[in-house]
Amino acid sequence: MQFVINGIVAGALYSLVALGFSLIFSTARFFHFAHGALYCVAAYLVYFFASVLGWTPWVAVPCAVGGVAFLGGLVELGVYRPLRHRRASSDILLVASLGLFIVLQNLISLAFGDATKLLRSGPIKEGVLFLGARITPIQIDMVIAAVICITVLGCVLRFSGAGKKIRAVADDSELAQILGVHTDRVVLGVFTSGSILAGVAAILAGFDSDITPLMGFSVLFMAVVAAIIGGVGSIGGAALGGLLLGLTQQFVAATLSTRWQEVCVFVLLIVFLILRPEGILGKPLRKARI
Amino acid sequence: MEYLGHVLVLVAIYTVLAASLNVLVGHAGILSVAQAAFYGVGAYASALLAVRLGAPFIVGLLAGMVVAVLVSFVVSLPSLRLHGDYFVIATFGFQMILYSVFNNWMGLTDGPLGIPGIPQPVIFGWRVESHFEFLVLAAVLAAFAYLVVWRITASPFGRVLHAIREDEVFAQALGKNTLRFKVTAFAVSAALAASAGSLYAHYITYIDPTSSTVMESILVLSMVIIGGAGSPWGPLVGAVVLVTLPEALRFVGFPSSVAANLRQIVYGVLLVIMMMFRPRGLVGRYGFGR
Repeated sequence: MQFVINGIVAGALYSLVALGFSLIFSTARFFHFAHGALYCVAAYLVYFFASVLGWTPWVAVPCAVGGVAFLGGLVELGVYRPLRHRRASSDILLVASLGLFIVLQNLISLAFGDATKLLRSGPIKEGVLFLGARITPIQIDMVIAAVICITVLGCVLRFSGAGKKIRAVADDSELAQILGVHTDRVVLGVFTSGSILAGVAAILAGFDSDITPLMGFSVLFMAVVAAIIGGVGSIGGAALGGLLLGLTQQFVAATLSTRWQEVCVFVLLIVFLILRPEGILGKPLRKARI
Repeated sequence: MEYLGHVLVLVAIYTVLAASLNVLVGHAGILSVAQAAFYGVGAYASALLAVRLGAPFIVGLLAGMVVAVLVSFVVSLPSLRLHGDYFVIATFGFQMILYSVFNNWMGLTDGPLGIPGIPQPVIFGWRVESHFEFLVLAAVLAAFAYLVVWRITASPFGRVLHAIREDEVFAQALGKNTLRFKVTAFAVSAALAASAGSLYAHYITYIDPTSSTVMESILVLSMVIIGGAGSPWGPLVGAVVLVTLPEALRFVGFPSSVAANLRQIVYGVLLVIMMMFRPRGLVGRYGFGR
């Protein structure tokens, strides 16, 4: 039972990151690897505000989320938008985002050092028993946050005017622009909100365990895998993919060994890429265009 | 002098790696981030042969290349059916799987402990010991790699690769089996990368999984892109710049802990700037990722 609970908690984390990643991919059409670095930045902002400046978490957390949203927007404005306006291919955007990832991650380890840091103060609260398995309060928060974010995002995309615009840009950004949608503004909004999702996930994960400058890397890859398995561009898909991935990972850890967790996850990815690259809930991929 | 020799040997080894990746990125227009994995395959294959079976350097070198070609089929046959970003993700996946195998298959590779005591190469009675002798050997290997790449890309085979880079559907329409061409290019690239790994293992006389991480793959990719993808001198320029730059940073007087981060920051920034202002690289002609 414990591995199911652990899997759901891990899955909630991956879903949150995958959600932002997938949302950004569906509108901006490239793999935004720097998403993983923004994730890490959020956790370190909380550390900086709370442990270095001594603010209470109630102030530090919102400020960190705001900070990472700002940074996400800045990355779009400063790097991606000029590239997009020059009609750069998705390969170029991908390499630029790899560069950004490397820069941000190393700036963090330069500023804070490579050692593990703790966000929480005081001892770990003992987990509560739930269906015969232990779960800590912060892990419950993580699951709740994921459920709330997925529902809210799903509703916004489905029912609100802003959501309609986002879907229009995701479908065909040129057509949306012709019909008077400010595509740049929509993409900027998507980058900011996607970064907020990553930030929330990172902060919760940071309070749950600890933070290191490398934390963004593995989570990003798990999120990418989750997004692809679930179906890139689909909200439900990101949630489902995250959950499936979390469960698989914990199942492997419980039955086989934690050593081969990563291999199993990436084998799962390859299997999906070969047999069903559009993912569980995604729309079929367009093959080459003439 | 010793130190200068060491840096030059590294430049030569990275030139081989970058030249091998250039076949894919520059000539066939496919972005791969698994080059360090093939480098690792070559290094481990020849190290294991030399340490466990006492095989001479040449045998290890050739065996490493053969194993790398076999592994490259496993990687390329399924993943080369994918396009663009999805192919990049698939190579990421294989890179993670191979790294994980190096790191966790204790019975074969001794995991993170690595394999020490790899003998220095003896080629037809010539014992390669000093930095200078290694430099000669590495330069010969680099020249060989350049010759192979030049022969391939200047041939009809290379013209088909260029056609695939420009427009794959068009190449297919001309009756070319593009998958076969891409798989062959991938195998050649893997074999050359493995030869670099084999030389590195015999040069350092120790090999562990840290030399085949994703970051190493990204470094090699950066060399190709910064130097100039698809251009003959691009890989050499990229290798010289990215190997000597961190050494220069050390001379400016940064402590080594800071220099490691700074080096990464510098090449991350370089990647972003190149993508924004000069996607064809320092000495490139064609332009990457149009």
